Amino acid sequence: MKFDLVLCGVGGQGVLTTAYVLDHAAVDAGLYFKQPEVHGMAQRGGAVSAQLRISDVPVSSDVISDGGASLIISVEPMESLRYLQLLRPDGWIVTDVTPLKNIADYPDLTRLYQTLFSLPHVLAVDASRLAAKAGVMKAPNIVVLGAAASLLPLAVPSLEKHIAALFAAKGERVQTANRKAFRMGRAASRFAAALTERGVPHALMARVVARLDFDETPAPVPVVEAWSERLLKPDGADLAARVLGSHDLVPLDARLPEALA
Amino acid sequence: MTREILLGDEAVARGALDAGISAAYAYPGTPSTEIFQTIQAYVKQHQLDVRGLWSTNEKVALEEAIGVSYCGKRALVAMKHVGLNVAADPFMNVAVSGAWGGLVLAVADDPSMHSSQNEQDSRYFADFAQVPCLEPADQQQAYEMTREAFELSEKLRVPVLVRLVTRLAHSRALVGLSERRPQNETHYVDDPGLFTLIPSNARRAYAKLVDKQAGLQRYAEENAGNVLALRGEGKPGIIVCGVAWNYLREALGEAVDGFNLLRVGVYPLPVKKARALLDHSSELTIVEEGYPFIERFVSALGLFREKPVKGKLTGHVPRTGELSPDAIRRTFGLPVAPSLEVDRLESLLAPRPPRLCDGCPHGDSYRLINEVVQELAKDTRVMGDIGCYALGYLKPYQAIHSCVCMGSSIGMAIGAAHAGISPSLCVIGDGTFTHSGMAGLLDAAREDVNVKVFILDNSIVAMTGGQPSSLSDEALVDLVAGLGVKRPHIRVITPLANKKAENLAVVREELAHAGLSVIIARRPCVVYAKEIKQQQRERAAAHHHHAGDCADCTGSCP
Repeated sequence: MKFDLVLCGVGGQGVLTTAYVLDHAAVDAGLYFKQPEVHGMAQRGGAVSAQLRISDVPVSSDVISDGGASLIISVEPMESLRYLQLLRPDGWIVTDVTPLKNIADYPDLTRLYQTLFSLPHVLAVDASRLAAKAGVMKAPNIVVLGAAASLLPLAVPSLEKHIAALFAAKGERVQTANRKAFRMGRAASRFAAALTERGVPHALMARVVARLDFDETPAPVPVVEAWSERLLKPDGADLAARVLGSHDLVPLDARLPEALA
Repeated sequence: MTREILLGDEAVARGALDAGISAAYAYPGTPSTEIFQTIQAYVKQHQLDVRGLWSTNEKVALEEAIGVSYCGKRALVAMKHVGLNVAADPFMNVAVSGAWGGLVLAVADDPSMHSSQNEQDSRYFADFAQVPCLEPADQQQAYEMTREAFELSEKLRVPVLVRLVTRLAHSRALVGLSERRPQNETHYVDDPGLFTLIPSNARRAYAKLVDKQAGLQRYAEENAGNVLALRGEGKPGIIVCGVAWNYLREALGEAVDGFNLLRVGVYPLPVKKARALLDHSSELTIVEEGYPFIERFVSALGLFREKPVKGKLTGHVPRTGELSPDAIRRTFGLPVAPSLEVDRLESLLAPRPPRLCDGCPHGDSYRLINEVVQELAKDTRVMGDIGCYALGYLKPYQAIHSCVCMGSSIGMAIGAAHAGISPSLCVIGDGTFTHSGMAGLLDAAREDVNVKVFILDNSIVAMTGGQPSSLSDEALVDLVAGLGVKRPHIRVITPLANKKAENLAVVREELAHAGLSVIIARRPCVVYAKEIKQQQRERAAAHHHHAGDCADCTGSCP
């Protein structure tokens, strides 16, 4: 087993925190790993990345080769595209859709989304809003980690254990909120998988998941069915675009897809 | 044996602690900063009796460590590659005097210049000083080689350099740790001639250093860190060192076993092993992270070429930037994996360099400087220096016109004034000023050169993560005055938007003065406000502790 992934975002978004959780989970799993990272960006808002190479045999290179990564986990949509050179053609991108515009020439968001949602394997979530709902504004990194969890060769309880350990000093409220954030991400990825299973085209699924208001428990089956049926109708793509265009989270309600028609 | 997840830097720190150091010194600099940071935190957490501090600069740090070594105890000193330039004088000379207690320099190189101004290769420095260099390939070796470096230093009585590169310094892996060795007892050598390098002694000491070379060579030949694997007469050969081994192994996979291979981790270069490799091989490829250091030896620059040698000098391995598995695949003509391709991706990717933080005092200082520079002659230049404020080169400020090395701005401004740009301006932070800017100011004061020095005093070394400044605030004013700057031309301003008008007036007054002025823009770093308060408390407490009879004591010490 060999699994390379890239973690990325902007300084201060908790990219290296996520790496810490994954490192410890890899040790729990008895796997070898190497994990290089960029230091010194926390306050300065520059691009940050870390890489993680997990394997059941000793890892040689600290850095990932071009086309070697199976997964990019990003806390920012433009940043999710910065390291594509490292991603395999069949690799996944899991990202927050919320742009962080701390530079003057941030690209046009419509074009950015067009490219992002045209990729073959993308799972985007509104991690910033979900994190706020979970009770910690600073937890979009944990939401996207939750969304990526099922793609990782690591056990979910182990990830949750190390998230809890990470925030142990910050008290129970922060711990609980982070667990909730992680599980919201999990619920998003399960919902995405369920839509895909029901035949919803990837590009539509990805746009819808990017705005839905997930809870920490998996979406109920009737909700999954309502959304997939609705998205499979001829104007499904139109609906998906409208959901993505929404300015707020869209409730995960079984009656809503029809109401949006 | 316990196991912990450690950065390469942390592994070096733990290796030094477990080797029984009595002290550690450092000046912060990426990618070496975490070494001393780790030592400091670990010593505090475990209440160890290990002394040390963030020194004022690398030269002082090494001198402090030499003092420890001369007293028979072990000391580590950590710095980035260009820091060793600052410490070059004590380094070259302690090589001659020799070490007593184990003396180890952990020096982190930065190929690809992730946060540096050059990619100099510290192996040259070790070679120049004729001391051993250990070059770990991974985090485990970083731990073990640091321990080994102390043993070697005491065994052969030489300082030892441990060379890291960014990719190891800032990469994590699981590291097995072994038991801590007790510290040495203090035992100063009862022979002052040994460490007093006046010419008569230095000649003896240097002859001794030359005599030590045979022992160093033997050590390198026999060391398990230098692995020679001969797979068969006439096969192609490879010499690889440090982290380049990881990339080579990754790029070639099992096929690496089809080559005659010399893997180097301990210098001086094991010449006998290299000779055996050459004799067995049809040709040689040399893969090293950094300069073509081994290649220059082995290829003799092509002067005595007996077999084809491929490497950085011949264009087979990239000459600049850090290596990667893909770079080595290209060297060996192997395919590189396809990536996910996206049309016109570049058009969607705006660069996101680091920038000055919101509310940063340097931003206000630069707005001020830009405004007055516009009023001056067209060719007015602002000499810059190293620190967060080097970001003033970028948009939206574009306020500085040079940045070369620590502390250089004042000297360059003097030169610019002598070249006819008068007044010439320069900016330097409080940390960089005390690191190595003071001597330049002394020159400026001696001749009262028409230079306007802006000291951006944010009370901390911010760029590397908030290490304490050696000195700031009022003490900085006194220091500047002590260096000979006339009190009326030392002006303190508060760089804030709502004080811009009065600040402009102050700066214009000083620009009207045809001589040296120092304008101190004093406002604490917004990011490290808490740390600055803490450091001020600690400084006041230390002052109180050491100076109970202090004549000017205000009684405000805690």
